[in-house]
Order: sequence, then structure tokens, then C-alpha cells
Amino acid sequence: MSFRKIFTQHIHEEKCHSLSFYQKNGGYEQARKSLHDWQPDDLIETVKAANLRGRGGAGFPTGVKWGFVPKNTDKPKYLAVNADESEPGTFKDRLIMEKNPHLLLEGIIISCKAVGIHHAYIYIRGEFVFAANRLQNAIDRAYSEGILGENCLGSDFTLDVTLHRGAGAYICGEETGMLSSLEGDRGQPKLKPPFPAVEGLFGCPTVVNNVETLANLPYILEIGAEAYGKIGPEKSPGPKLFCVSGHVEKPGVFELPMGISLRTLIDEHAGGVWKGRKLKAVIPGGSSAHVLRADECDVDMDIESLAAAGTMLGSAGVIVMDETTCMVDALLNIMRFYHHESCGQCTPCREGTGWLEKIAHRIAIGEGRMEDMDLVTEVCDRMVGKTICALADAAAFPAESIVNKFREDFVAAIENGGSPAWIKRHPASTGGAATHV
Amino acid sequence: MSDTSNELISWNLNGEVVQNESGMTIMEAAKAHGIEIPCFCYHPGLSIAGNCRICMVESNRSPKPIISCSERIAEGLEIQTDSEKAVDARDSVMEFQLINHPLDCPVCDKAGECVLQDHSYEHGPDRSRFVEDKNIRHTKELGPTIDIWGNRCIVCTRCVRFCDEISGTSELCVVERGDRSVVDVFPGIPIDNAMAGNTVDICPVGALISTDFKYEARVWNMDRTTSVCGGCSRGCNVEVEALDGFVKRLMPRENLDVNDWWMCDHGRYGWRHLYADSRQVTAQTTEGSVLPAEASKALQQTLESSSSTGFLVDPFMTCEELHLVKQLADSMTGSRVAGWLPADGTEESFPGGFTISAAKYPNRKGVEEIFGADVFGSAASTLLNDITSGSVDTVVAFVGGHGFDGAGAEWNAALSSAKNRVVFTTQQGAWSEGAHLVLPATAPLEKEGVWINEDNRAQRVRSCRSLTDQNFPSELVILQEVQAHMELRSRSLSAAGVFRELSESSSAFEGHSHSSLGDHGTPLSQKPAAVGSEGGES
Amino acid sequence: MTETLAFSSEAMKKYEWLLTRYPTRQAALLPTLRIAESEFGELGVPQMRYVADLMEIPPALVFGVVTFYTHYRRAGVGTYHLQVCSTLSCALRGAGDVVQRITERLGIGTGETSECGLFTLSKVECLGSCDTAPVIQCNDDYHEGLSLEDVDALIQQLRDEAGKGSA
Repeated sequence: MSFRKIFTQHIHEEKCHSLSFYQKNGGYEQARKSLHDWQPDDLIETVKAANLRGRGGAGFPTGVKWGFVPKNTDKPKYLAVNADESEPGTFKDRLIMEKNPHLLLEGIIISCKAVGIHHAYIYIRGEFVFAANRLQNAIDRAYSEGILGENCLGSDFTLDVTLHRGAGAYICGEETGMLSSLEGDRGQPKLKPPFPAVEGLFGCPTVVNNVETLANLPYILEIGAEAYGKIGPEKSPGPKLFCVSGHVEKPGVFELPMGISLRTLIDEHAGGVWKGRKLKAVIPGGSSAHVLRADECDVDMDIESLAAAGTMLGSAGVIVMDETTCMVDALLNIMRFYHHESCGQCTPCREGTGWLEKIAHRIAIGEGRMEDMDLVTEVCDRMVGKTICALADAAAFPAESIVNKFREDFVAAIENGGSPAWIKRHPASTGGAATHV
Repeated sequence: MSDTSNELISWNLNGEVVQNESGMTIMEAAKAHGIEIPCFCYHPGLSIAGNCRICMVESNRSPKPIISCSERIAEGLEIQTDSEKAVDARDSVMEFQLINHPLDCPVCDKAGECVLQDHSYEHGPDRSRFVEDKNIRHTKELGPTIDIWGNRCIVCTRCVRFCDEISGTSELCVVERGDRSVVDVFPGIPIDNAMAGNTVDICPVGALISTDFKYEARVWNMDRTTSVCGGCSRGCNVEVEALDGFVKRLMPRENLDVNDWWMCDHGRYGWRHLYADSRQVTAQTTEGSVLPAEASKALQQTLESSSSTGFLVDPFMTCEELHLVKQLADSMTGSRVAGWLPADGTEESFPGGFTISAAKYPNRKGVEEIFGADVFGSAASTLLNDITSGSVDTVVAFVGGHGFDGAGAEWNAALSSAKNRVVFTTQQGAWSEGAHLVLPATAPLEKEGVWINEDNRAQRVRSCRSLTDQNFPSELVILQEVQAHMELRSRSLSAAGVFRELSESSSAFEGHSHSSLGDHGTPLSQKPAAVGSEGGES
Repeated sequence: MTETLAFSSEAMKKYEWLLTRYPTRQAALLPTLRIAESEFGELGVPQMRYVADLMEIPPALVFGVVTFYTHYRRAGVGTYHLQVCSTLSCALRGAGDVVQRITERLGIGTGETSECGLFTLSKVECLGSCDTAPVIQCNDDYHEGLSLEDVDALIQQLRDEAGKGSA
């Protein structure tokens, strides 16, 4: 079966985001069927059988997550849609919300029917104002056409959808950080256990799903779990939106089957490393993933293959760095991000992210010491696995991989009095090779 | 805290199979077996935050270490508190806690009672490998009695949770994010509630500082007495701390039956009356001073030459002092006893369950128990009339307490009109001016004896006099000397001895003793099991 | 100096509608702050106090929330808040040069506001538009794929919009 695009097939057409366009192309048919013809448990089993893995970064099997929600409960159940997309290198959910918002709404309807949820919140990052407006328009249209609200699509199912804008915090992409923010508080992750499926939003059972994950649902119902499962590798199947940015000729979002090779993605789809330069480093899954050296890039872009290669698919945010990149500067940039975004609740992350940035900064400005490389690794070790959420791990993974896989850049900065960019701006001390980042 | 379920769970703690009630957290359960897992953010009176991470232990149910303050014991759970993994987790957190923490110990008030110092000493690295610039956060006033030294703040949120859950006033918040986060107040709304001082107690580091106590003393130089606050009828358990003869600070003690872990600011900062300029420190007659050694003789002579005597007691007196007054009054025909009460203040109750009583005195129940329920009612109005009409010859009035307005307008006027007045008073004032004999009264904190709080709980107030410069003989001594002069007793007893007499002569106090009351008191109605024999015999 | 703040009736209607969308009042805080931001132009101390009193929640809680997030318009920000994305993908494609260009043209550094009060320059973290790096978010709008000439043009466009000529 040849690969059919389901997210981006119409994105270049002018009114692709409108309801009429969506309906003309078969939109909301699967939602209608799910509401009228499907039993909730069968929906869950189908999604389990399709082996849909979460597209937000953790890759947890969606059907299994739905199954954790208690069936017998007096409490209302909620769906919290994670549209907080803040992982550096990631810009795929935005595309769906701006160009195909009704696909998201249809996925929401299907998931709510499956789990018995009557109120869904879409948590969209505060900076995505255009996408929020598009999405709100789509929601309003859906309400006025009887697709949302009471008697969705002519069924006896009621579903309310509320768009909730964030206000600038990466940590609100963490599922319980998002729930705290939805509850009107600082976006600080909560202790787990209890897990959101049992005790989440407002203390009620809550499913948290990523935008892209939900956007897969109509397709799964359309072609069936078995056919879906044959797209890409068995353990992480399906169509996938890959984001490629950085030093490539054609950065962008590419809809391809799971499992495409990283080399093909970069060289064929993204036009290869720009300006005829050589590849130096690739982040395969958003900045929280372990970095890959150029010679490590013969790997397939799926959850298992990347895990086996010592990194992860994560949010599929591929960032390409060419030979002129100083990895000390890259490290500093990434550490500054995590330092800025740490919520500050727990000790190892609050203090560790700041420490890592300060070490990277000191090396970049020519005050590094040889022992700093091992120090970074040890600090990372002391952060991993000891915190309320995974932000500390997300800072540690790039830090320890960059420092250990690109030691030569660090040694050079330590010996030459800083990163090349620093030396260029401050030529007084040494005359190192001046290359520009 | 733990569930009320009684089911016992078997679990494994450091290789040993142990049992605890279901619902307990690992930390609570380990403590019951003598294992103290360190903590910063956890406090038994507050909700669980789980943010400091120092309490991490190794668990067989998780590849990562887990925090013991929030996870509960379960059947088959195996916990290691000192395995390599647990120690590594703890050491990691300690190192992170210290990298930005300023080396303020030499100038920080918290030194000596600082949880970070203690854990650092036990678990911390002995040197730092942090060579970067430390973070800077604000130092400012958070309220009239609280400053924050933000560089020291470890964002444990105990203070924020206290204001949300216990005082219910929510003045505090954490602002900013990451390692810029620090505790603050809304601009223009300082922390200013009647329980604010507790936030300084529970701050595990020297971030929150009491402006009342700032720079006053090093905690290890202070002497301390375990006592009870005399500010109201709650009777919060306290520790009185003094340096070189001056009280410096009151701190609450834990008593889950009285005040949990808290005390109010009125009581906490209400000790300065001990050193007021108007404090009565010498005995006086209209002719001049009376030496301490002659005071009881002077009082005895006054009493013996009185044709009819009225005793006016106050609700700050201990049961022992009241008992001695009763003995005196009973021995003098035609005498009578009544009591006066300060006007009620404001009752304040807080969402966390803590209450401040409107009754701003500690021992009304003690007075009523010893002199009868009408002592402040009909007996008081009768005595008031008798004084103003002149049918009482001599009044012996106890005008103690922590206020500066004597026994209130009505009684002050009556006392001033009495034919002969003996006034035991803490502060000088119109009620004692021109009196036949004025004697210094002990302030509430200076008393040694028993008070009964509004819940009928008998508790021991232990004198801080040995910590202070107050050295005039107390009422306990003076009254017994007067009794000796009047041949009512042959020898003076300690406060414990007087209480023993009281318990032997009164059914309400029967069975109780200073030792059985201990540090946390006992309900008066709850008779302790008989312990030991009378002193002296083996 | 401080006039009494109040939501317009339209804003109040929006606020009341918001309250119907959440089971707790506090959950409406973030969107209510957006209404206030739009009504009052900024979220300074009086504006935060207004929202706290309106929603009957502690002012300290509102303060903690507003200072946690970076995208609320705080007091003292210029008419045009130039937020230059500086995270990796944008840094790799010239975000540093964009910042430098703005500094050269406007004479302000990161975190500073121009004397005329028109422009504030900030470096922000990943805006989720990495394929069109470098990117500036000016108030609500994304300006993507900027060359240095585009930066100049944007500044001029904003100046024209504000009714002021070029410097």
C-alpha cells in the first residue's frame, strides 16, 4: 500500500482549514461513525491493536493509556489536549492546528467517545496566537454546525471543547505541568503517583494526548488497525510528521511513514546539509534527545530504532548542525533553554540546570578547565531520575552526549581561550581559527 | 497524616521485615522504627510538596529512587535508606542544595538550629566543586515581623503552604521560575497575620528571619525553659529562651492536643512587658522600700491587724498560688475571696484548626476549680460592694498579667478607694499607688506551677526567672512565709510540693502531680495511674 | 495617578462566559489575565490586583502565576515587544545577527526599551517556528525567515504604523 498523507495532503490549498473543505473531503465521517456505530471499548481495543504510540515525545501506547481510566467513577472525566508544542526543533502540531484544525477536533471526538469524556480542553501555548485564532474559529463553526455541544453529529453524545491559552512556559508541555496550568496555577508538574488517568485535572480521571496523536484517529478507524499497523515498523507504526530545521537547504515539516531513515530525511527531503557543507551533529528528537554524531546517522526514525541507538524519537524535531558549528556554543544554547524553562520546584533540576549553563558559559568564554567535561557528566548523573518530572533528564541527555561525543570542541575551547565565536569577538588573547556560528 | 485504617502492612526496611499501619508514608513508618530520613519540605502539619527530594530512598518497586515523604508503605515493599543508590540520591540533592547557598552561617540567625546545616553535617560534601558565580535573589521585608534573605531560600514552600493551609491568609507565594524562584508577597500586601511568626520557625534555613529576634542571640548561647504561654486560655506549649538574664525569644513546642506546632504572634512577641520601665521590682510601703527579707513579715502584720480581709485573685495565678491564698483566707474569719478578669479580647480561629482564645489569661478554670464557679460572678460583685462601702477593712489584690491597665477601670477605682490595700502587681499604676503595701508580682512566664486551659487541660508553667534578672521572692515564697509566720505551716515547699498538698485536699486535683503532668499536660479529668510513693521512703 | 480599573461590559461578558467553562473559578485565571492584558494594555500591580479581587482569589497567588510565565505583557514593555527567538535552530541560522541588528538600529540591548517607548527587545526561547528561522514575535505576530534587510523593513513598518518617521 503506497503511503497516503493524512495530515498535510491539502495544506497548500487556500481554504484547507475551513469546515466546508474538511467535510467535502470526507471529514467527520469517522467521528460520526464512532458516535453512532462504535462501542467505547471497541474503540479502545482498535487503537490498542493499531499500536498508536503517543506523538508528544514519550511514545506511550495511546490505547493502553485510555485503558487506565477507571470505568466506574462518579467523577467527570476530561481530555486535555497537549498543544503546548515548545520542544526546540518541533513545529508539527502548529501545522495541524493552522492548516487542518478540524482533523484535530475529529480526533478529539473519537477519543472522548472511546473513554466517555464530555469535556475536552485544548491547551495551546500562549505564543501561538494565529493557531489559537484558527482553532477557536474551527471550534465555533463546529458548535454552530452541531458537531460539538449537545447531540454531537446527531448522536446522544455531548461534548464540550474549550481552548485554553498558555502564557509562555515549556514546562506546561509536561502533562501534569499542563494540568496545573489548566487549573489556574503556576505550571508546576505534580507528584506521580497518582497518575492523571486516575487523578488528573481537578482531581478527576484525565487523558492527556498530543495533537498529532489525536489527528491519527480518524485514519485508524478508516483503514482499520491492521492496515495502520503495517505503515512503518511494527512497534511504532503510522504516518509521522518529521520536523527538520537548522543547517539544511529545505527546513520544514515532512509527512512520511514511521521508520524513514534519518539520512533520507535529511538528504532527500530536507535538501541535505546547506551550502555544500559537511554534517557534524544531529539532534533527532527535539533538544531533549541525546545528540548523534554524523557517523551515527544511519538510523531509522522510529521509537525502537532510535532508542537502540542511545537516543530517542521524542517529538521528532530534527536539528541539523554543520561542520562550522561549535558544540560548546550548541551546548550553551541548549543549557540556557533548560535553565530558563525549569519550573524551579525540585532541587536537582532547579540548581542543576543553572549549574550546567554556567559551566558551558565558562568554557565558551575561555575560562574552562579540562575537568569540566567530567564535571558536566557527573552533574548530569546526579540530576537524572531524581526529580518530579523529566525536565532534568531532558537537560542532562543533550549535555552528557554533547560533552562526550564532541570532546574535541571542548578541548579546543579550553586550550584556545573560548569558542571560535568568542575568540572572534575577543581576539586579544589568542588567534584561534575564526569560524562563525 | 495516616489513614485511620488499622490494617497492619508487612514491608521490608533495610533488610528487616517490619509492620506498620496501612496508610502511613514510608518516612513516617521508618521513623516509628527509629530511622530518621532527612527532609526539608516535609512537615507533619502541612500538605506534602515532595520538592526538596532529600528524602529519596531505594525501592524494589521502582528503578529510580522514590521520595519517602509521600509514597506509602505497601505489602511486599522493600525500602533501603542507606544503600548505595539511596545514599547517592541523598548526596546529589545535598550537593545541589549547597551550590548556590550563600556561606552566611557566621551572620545568619538560623545557625545552630538550621536544618540545612544539620543535614549538611550528616550527609553533605565537605567541599564544593561549584566555581561559578552564585545566584542573587532579593533581601527584603515581607511584613512587619518577617524579613526574607532570598539568597538562602531553598523554595521548599513550607511557608507558602502554612499561609494557605494553616493561617488561611495566603500572603506568600513563590515568584519567578527556575533558580530565580523565591518567596515573596504581593506588592503592597505584606504578611501580617496573627500566626505569621510560625513561618520563621518552620523555615528550614535562614531565609525567613524574625525582625524581633534578628541579631539578638546565638541559639547555642541561650538558656531555655520548657513552659506554657500565659497570653490566653489556649495555653500553647512554648520554649522560653534567654541570654544573660534577658528573655530573647519564645518558640512553640509541639503538642497535638493543644497547639499542634504553632503559637500566635501575640504570645510569641508578648514578653516585653517583663522589662517594661513600669515594672514593679521592689516592695514599697507609703513610707518607703521594704527589704525582700522583710516583705512577708510586713504582709503578715497587715493581715493580722485587719478586721476583715478581702482577697482579689487574678486568672494569671497558678493553682499553687491560688491554693495558698485559699489556705490563708480559710484561716482568717470573715475573709472572702473573689476574682477579677481582664476584658475579653478577640477570638481568632484559623482554617488549620488553630484558635486564639478571647480570654487573654491562662488560668480562669484553675481559679474556678479552687474557689467555686461564682468567684468571678456573685463573689466578685459582693467584694466590689464591700470595698467601696468600707465593710472590708483590707484588700489583698493580685494584679498580675501582661497588661498595663491594672485590674480594669472598675476594680482599679475600687482598689484606690479601699481603706487598706496590699497589692501584688507586675506593673506600677494607679491601682497600687499609695497602697499600704506594694509587692512585685511574678509575670505569667515567671511563674512555677500549674494552669488549666480552656479545654480543662492542666499544664505546667515553668518559671523563666532563673533565666532572667527578676529576683524578688515570688508569691509562692512570700505566701508560704506569711503562713509560717501565722503558724499555718512549718516549712515552705516547692511549687511541686504545694501542688501535692492541693491534690491531696481537692478531689478535682486528686491523683495529679507535677511529674505526671510532664511536658505536655493532662486533662484534669483524666486521673493518671498511681506512680511511686511519697517522697523519702524507698 | 491610578484610575479605578474595571472591565468593560464586553470584557465582563467574556469573563462570565469563561466561568461557565471550568468547574473551579481559579481555572479561569490564565484566560482572565489575557482579558485584563487586552483591556488594560499590561499586567502591572494594579491590574493584577483587579483580577485577584474580581476572581476573589489571593493577590499573592495571581502574582506567583504572572511571574511564572513569560508571555504576559508586563508593565513597562514598549508598544512593540520584539521577541527574538534565540534557541538552537534560530541561533544556527542567524538569530544572534538579528539581535545585533536591532541593537544597532534602535540603540537598545536585550531587556531594554527604546527612549521613545516604542520598542522593547527580548531574547526568547523556541517559538515553534524553527523551519522559518530566524523568527521574531512582535506582540502577537510571528515574523519569519528574516534577513537583516527584513529586520530593517519590519522596524520601519512598525514605526510607520505608530505614526512616527524613521530615525
